Amino acid sequence: MGVRRKVGGFVLKVNPILCDGFGHCHELAPELVKIDEWGYPIILGTPTPLADGAALESARYAVRGCPRQALTIARVDEQS
Amino acid sequence: MIALTSPYLWYTTRATGFVALILFTLVASLGTFVANRIGGTYIGRFELNELHRSVSIIAIMFLVIHITTTVIDSFVSTGWTSALVPMTSAYKRLPVTLGTVAFDLILAVWISSLLKARIANGTWRFIHWFSWLALATAVVHGILVGTDSRRSFGLVIVVVCSLVVVASAFWRYLGRPTRAAGRTALSPLAPIDRATRPPRASGNDPATTPRRGVRPSSPTTPPDDARRGRR
Repeated sequence: MGVRRKVGGFVLKVNPILCDGFGHCHELAPELVKIDEWGYPIILGTPTPLADGAALESARYAVRGCPRQALTIARVDEQS
Repeated sequence: MIALTSPYLWYTTRATGFVALILFTLVASLGTFVANRIGGTYIGRFELNELHRSVSIIAIMFLVIHITTTVIDSFVSTGWTSALVPMTSAYKRLPVTLGTVAFDLILAVWISSLLKARIANGTWRFIHWFSWLALATAVVHGILVGTDSRRSFGLVIVVVCSLVVVASAFWRYLGRPTRAAGRTALSPLAPIDRATRPPRASGNDPATTPRRGVRPSSPTTPPDDARRGRR
């Protein structure tokens, strides 16, 4: 019983036009963002469950910390 | 009303002017650190960014105190409008106007930063460039109208802050990376030291990614990998 809240997951989305490879996202959310040879982010493609509060929090920090506002959190529903 | 004629408001104005100058100098150099992608090894780039943001708030608070005590002090007749509108002060019109212009520019930079998530990033950056003009104006304002800025210790502070700002501006201009210039060394792939680089995590498994602050300790990279270079 009980309504299951926080169903589904999220992925970070980077706008590659805006991104200048500052690397702040990798420092703020290392579990979600890796960095490539040139300092640009490689974002974890598989959705992270929204229930993972720590990951969601670091994703929000990454969005807030991006000097180019290139990151967004996109919600992915749990229907496959 | 007694307080308005006490000399302490005037002392506060003079003191907070200096504190604001020092803090805004710090803010400008921290902003230059962020823009020039300093950090990533011993201090994170995001930490410099957060410092830049936090110190700027403190600096603005000191600036607000500086302006408020100037306006409510009866020793000089400036008036509330002269806090925002140039050329309205009865007291030392031009030098006070320079401070007004600097405050307006700083307000523009601050408000645009508060709205950063809602405005285009290019707009925010364009407005942010005006912080240099604000600092230059503020320094001239301080030299022209400051009671203590042309003597002994005050002069030293003004000169040092000016030099730091000019050096930051030059550094910002000369070392301006518009595109990615070196990755953050907190990254597991960073070239901290080729020889002591930890083995590359295979695949994209984030579980094997070393966490921030974990320094590579053992030279376990195979020599042939180092010779081949990356990929």
